[in-house]
Amino acid sequence: MLGAAFITEKSFLHRLDARTKLAAMLVILVLVMIFSHPLYLFVLFAVVLLAWQWARLPFDFLKAFARYFSGIAVIIFAIQVFFYPGTTPWLRISGPVAFIGFSGVLTLEGVLFGLAMVLRLVVIMAVAPLLIMTTPLSELMLALVKIKVPYRFAFLLTTAMSLLPAIQNRASLIQQAQLCRGVGDFESGSLLVRLRASASLLVPLILGAFRDSQILDVAISSRAFGASNQRSYLLDSQLHRPDAVLLAGSVFVLLAGILLRVLNLGIVS
Amino acid sequence: MTQSDPASASPAPPQPAPVLEPSVPPPARRNWQTRGRIFGLPISIIAIWAALFVAASAVPALPVPGMSGMITLNAIMTAISGIILGPAAGIANMIGGIIGMIIFPYGSFFGPLSFLTVTLGGFISGLAFANRWKLAALLEVALILAWFVNPRAWQPWMWIVPLPYTLVTLLAIVVPPLRNWMRRQVSHGTGVGLWVSVALLACIGHSVEYLTANVMTNYMFNLTWQYWVPTWPYWVGVDTVTIALSTIVGVGVLVGLRRARLTQAADIYPA
Repeated sequence: MLGAAFITEKSFLHRLDARTKLAAMLVILVLVMIFSHPLYLFVLFAVVLLAWQWARLPFDFLKAFARYFSGIAVIIFAIQVFFYPGTTPWLRISGPVAFIGFSGVLTLEGVLFGLAMVLRLVVIMAVAPLLIMTTPLSELMLALVKIKVPYRFAFLLTTAMSLLPAIQNRASLIQQAQLCRGVGDFESGSLLVRLRASASLLVPLILGAFRDSQILDVAISSRAFGASNQRSYLLDSQLHRPDAVLLAGSVFVLLAGILLRVLNLGIVS
Repeated sequence: MTQSDPASASPAPPQPAPVLEPSVPPPARRNWQTRGRIFGLPISIIAIWAALFVAASAVPALPVPGMSGMITLNAIMTAISGIILGPAAGIANMIGGIIGMIIFPYGSFFGPLSFLTVTLGGFISGLAFANRWKLAALLEVALILAWFVNPRAWQPWMWIVPLPYTLVTLLAIVVPPLRNWMRRQVSHGTGVGLWVSVALLACIGHSVEYLTANVMTNYMFNLTWQYWVPTWPYWVGVDTVTIALSTIVGVGVLVGLRRARLTQAADIYPA
């Protein structure tokens, strides 16, 4: 199972404030959406890879991720290469095939646009784990509260995260119980068996969890959740000089990217 | 308030109805108790649903041919969330979607924006169930417009892609007798009416999730009709299976919640 979790390291990226990393991630996401030329997107990809190296994160994770999304990447590339309406012929492979809208010629623009779309997918995929793997959850929550995300939202995130192991244990128990009853094999049965098994898992799981929610509700109410608007926090986060430099750099890069795009640069014509 | 004298021979003239002063002041719009609720639903249920959503994200249900990804059980959770949580399903699915994307990134093709699909799916079906149909219809129409604003949506046969279940969704939201019947059935109904109503509401949640995903795919990866049109029958099949399975799970959960007298959206938004 492929999952991203915080990895303890003493890198520059780990020491940055979570707000700075959130801002940098947003800038990369905006840039990756406004550019559609592979050269520009490759620069963004290189930045993400450098950050990955800088944070001393395992590249095996990226490799596993790449394998996971290779199927959709191939489809995206093939569709653009064969059907992008380019003007510079690159390779003629057949006569026109009208009913599928293929001209018979692969164009340079099609190849470039296909590459760009694959790079866009890769950067979008790789940037979020970079944030998650270098930031403890508690710091991420604090950053959300500091940027004025309602406390209830942060509370819901942390509560759901803390409830997850108990829910997964319950799901595992229900799966085993249903297997004992011969309801179905969740892992290796046929599609129909797995679908039937899914229903037999979800109904008792949801009902059991809703029953538990009453206890949680009493616990939340008895602590007078929301009684005070002024909250205090065990952890505190401050923006230091490296954060300020990176934030300023992110804003500059964002403005430069928008300017380039306004000048019609960074796209496949 | 005056009382008539029982000893008096002549009947007392009729008195105007007494005006009772409220003994308890009306509750403030925002107090600590309302802060523990979102759209009227206790925050504990929303947190539990978000955790359930993440757990369901770890259980692959349907393989997606041509890709390494899987459609997981959270597709079912999204489809039925509006029926069980009302509009709060949007928040619960958003939290679950964000955590699920971090921990089990199956099918997170939109990176950090992947949570948008499940958020809108739960929110719009929840709005329809809560009878806030104007906002639900507005959001649905905005999504349909977002699909057609993209120039690629004007390629041959692309209009067919969002058609089947989106049409059912729009009808279920904007036709008052159908909407009210659905709400009544989910609140009090049994038998075939309940099954059909849950199927329709699950259709709203699922079709909104898929329409959002399709719109995002079109804008982010610029896929053309050569991808969408040939794969259309397959996706309609996947949608049908998902909605059917969601109906089975949804009816089971609704009946169970009623019997156990546990809080659900029907208690907060009675039909």
